[in-house]
Amino acid sequence: MQDFAAEARRFLDAHAAKAPDRTAVTWGEGDDSMAYFSSLPPEAEAEQVRRARAWQRIRHENGFGWITGPPEYGGRGLTPVHDLLYDAVESEYDVPDTGVLAVVGLGMIGPTILAHARPAVKERWLPAMYRGDAIACQLFSEPGAGSDLASVATRAVREDGDWVLNGQKVWTSVAQHSDIGLALTRTNPDASKHRGITAFLVPMDAPGVEVRPLRQMTGGADFNEVFLTDVRIPDDHRLGEVDGGWTVALTTLMNERDTVGAEGAGPVAAALSPDRLSALMRATWTWDDRALRGRLAELLVDAMATGYLNDRAQRTLRAGIAPGPERSVAKLMYGQNLTRAAHFVSECLGPRIIADTGRWGTYAWSELLLATPALRILGGTEEIMKNILAERVLGLPKEARA
Amino acid sequence: MSADDAELKALRSSVREFLEAKSPEEAVRKIMESESRHDPAVWAQAADQLRLPGLAIPPEYGGDGFGLVELGVVMEEMGRALLCAPFFATVVLAAQALLASGDDEACARHLPGVADGRTTATLAVAEDDGSWDPALITVRARPDGGGGWKLSGRKCFVIDGTTADLVLVVARTVAGPSLFAVDRSATGLSAEPLQTLDPTRAMARLTFDSVPATLVGTDGAGGRVMARVLDVASVALAAEQSGGARRCLEMSAEYARTRHQFGRPIGSFQAVKHKCADMLVQVELAEASSREAARLAAEGAPDVPVAAAVAHACCSRAFMAVAMETIQVHGGIGFTWEHPAHLYFRRAKSSQLLFGGPAVYHERLLDRLGI
Repeated sequence: MQDFAAEARRFLDAHAAKAPDRTAVTWGEGDDSMAYFSSLPPEAEAEQVRRARAWQRIRHENGFGWITGPPEYGGRGLTPVHDLLYDAVESEYDVPDTGVLAVVGLGMIGPTILAHARPAVKERWLPAMYRGDAIACQLFSEPGAGSDLASVATRAVREDGDWVLNGQKVWTSVAQHSDIGLALTRTNPDASKHRGITAFLVPMDAPGVEVRPLRQMTGGADFNEVFLTDVRIPDDHRLGEVDGGWTVALTTLMNERDTVGAEGAGPVAAALSPDRLSALMRATWTWDDRALRGRLAELLVDAMATGYLNDRAQRTLRAGIAPGPERSVAKLMYGQNLTRAAHFVSECLGPRIIADTGRWGTYAWSELLLATPALRILGGTEEIMKNILAERVLGLPKEARA
Repeated sequence: MSADDAELKALRSSVREFLEAKSPEEAVRKIMESESRHDPAVWAQAADQLRLPGLAIPPEYGGDGFGLVELGVVMEEMGRALLCAPFFATVVLAAQALLASGDDEACARHLPGVADGRTTATLAVAEDDGSWDPALITVRARPDGGGGWKLSGRKCFVIDGTTADLVLVVARTVAGPSLFAVDRSATGLSAEPLQTLDPTRAMARLTFDSVPATLVGTDGAGGRVMARVLDVASVALAAEQSGGARRCLEMSAEYARTRHQFGRPIGSFQAVKHKCADMLVQVELAEASSREAARLAAEGAPDVPVAAAVAHACCSRAFMAVAMETIQVHGGIGFTWEHPAHLYFRRAKSSQLLFGGPAVYHERLLDRLGI
């Protein structure tokens, strides 16, 4: 393990600079962005995707592209602990953000393809994905299937040995950049809902696939709607059994919990930093407001305790032991902490967050304020997370379900 | 010295087994209504069989030399069992004050007795206003002319104040707050038991009428000693709180799984289920913050004062919230005297406010963060 960390460090030293401390702040200096969603103009976004692909290729060429993957598909064949260790080391460096291909594609879809696809499909896509050449998205949610994902209604019907897909997907991140998408479809409307689902890998350039940006409440469009109209998919692009797609979906979702719980980097890391928040109180002359100080303390207690929870889960994993519910709890708290931070800050700022006076570090917080409602919804709503914690950890009985 | 994971697990299970046998609910109820508020026989067994009083005392003073991580495991288990015993006052407050004083002679005189369970002790800081701020101390210490000191004034909220053999007192000299040792049988010392919200933790008011005392450590160093003791005590108390909170969560989840209303277990109703999930979140945060603070302290990390303040605030809030919701999940039965929920509720509120409560510990955290 020590050798691996040293190898990662040698590689990163050769290819990247050390990251600056993102939580330190000198009031009025540097970037004051508090955007959770990137909302970049198209050219800048294209450049970001290009840089992400390029960095993933460098990782891959140096043996860090797919640390846990099997060697026959370009992986390194090491453990999840090695993977986490690499992430921890890489976070000390200033490297391009690879979220566009890593969060969904490499983090969730890759492991699902590996577990459920035919060998030819694995050979076609896995090396390409982990080399940074192919981007993948998750075609799961629908207008009628959010928290109740098993009620997906997109139909897949067999026709001359192929499958023909019709339906609408929604909240699809990175669909506009994707080469493939993993779609959950209804293949047996007569079976109980979990038993009538089949999963397919959909080439996003197939005729009948239409991606439309979905503008969210921040004003940007970080998600998409994906319309599938008579999209023809060969049977070898099926993952798992016919009507066995729920098992496939669970593989993806298990991996999702792993990635979403690990958030906290980027500009929003500063939103919960004591230095940043105290600098803000100074700048807004709310420094000695007793009520606000009390709320700041409460917020910092939760933010720091959540940090300790994450640290301890990481250490448990590094010791090779599967952690308990820490990461689910941390995800729940992360959304709540950032939400509280955004409202705390807005009260320090007063009117300066409702109209842009041009002052550094003031109206910029409106980006975070408007993004926070998403953090209690995406990757499993707070309510679903609480059901999971109560049922799986505390053993409470499930509700009667349709 | 520090235990590895397997040793910590073994420590936890032997302490739990001991407390399940010696401090079941019936025993707690009997002792909390007794005058001494602890069972000397159980205390002697904890010392002889498990060597608990000496766990975190250095070997040169007769202890086993473990640190806050091991102490935390024991405190979690004691919090679970609502043990009525002189452990917190003796082993955490008094022994840590002696160690923080740097007075080797005082340590050599008192700690071996503490370590083997013969001596119980406490630390008297707060006065009538309940504050642990050394700057507000009014009890006076004056030189007696023969190298000793005389204390005058009144201390309040002194844990185990009527039973402790040794009383460490923070009193004011011309040099500032300073630590003194007073023998329980010293002339001029009177102790009056107080009625307490939490009957499992005895408290007393001590009146000092020119009581002979020995200076511990440096004259005027009481403020520095107090800061150190408060960090250690906050972390140990946090562990006790998280243990109590964990036990409340277990009781509530068990009840939600088995209690039926409207023809199904109440835990299948989302309103109850989400309440239990919220309690789980509180317990996980509490455990993480207290264990992490203990780990940092054992490593001698520079951010211990911050982590201790976070653990104290987090566990105080968590235990109170969980104890309160435990009664709510149980409904009417949870409000009865017979049900243990109120014992945890009382312990939770008492622990939350022991060192001053939210207004004080929030400011302490901000202060330690430089805000």
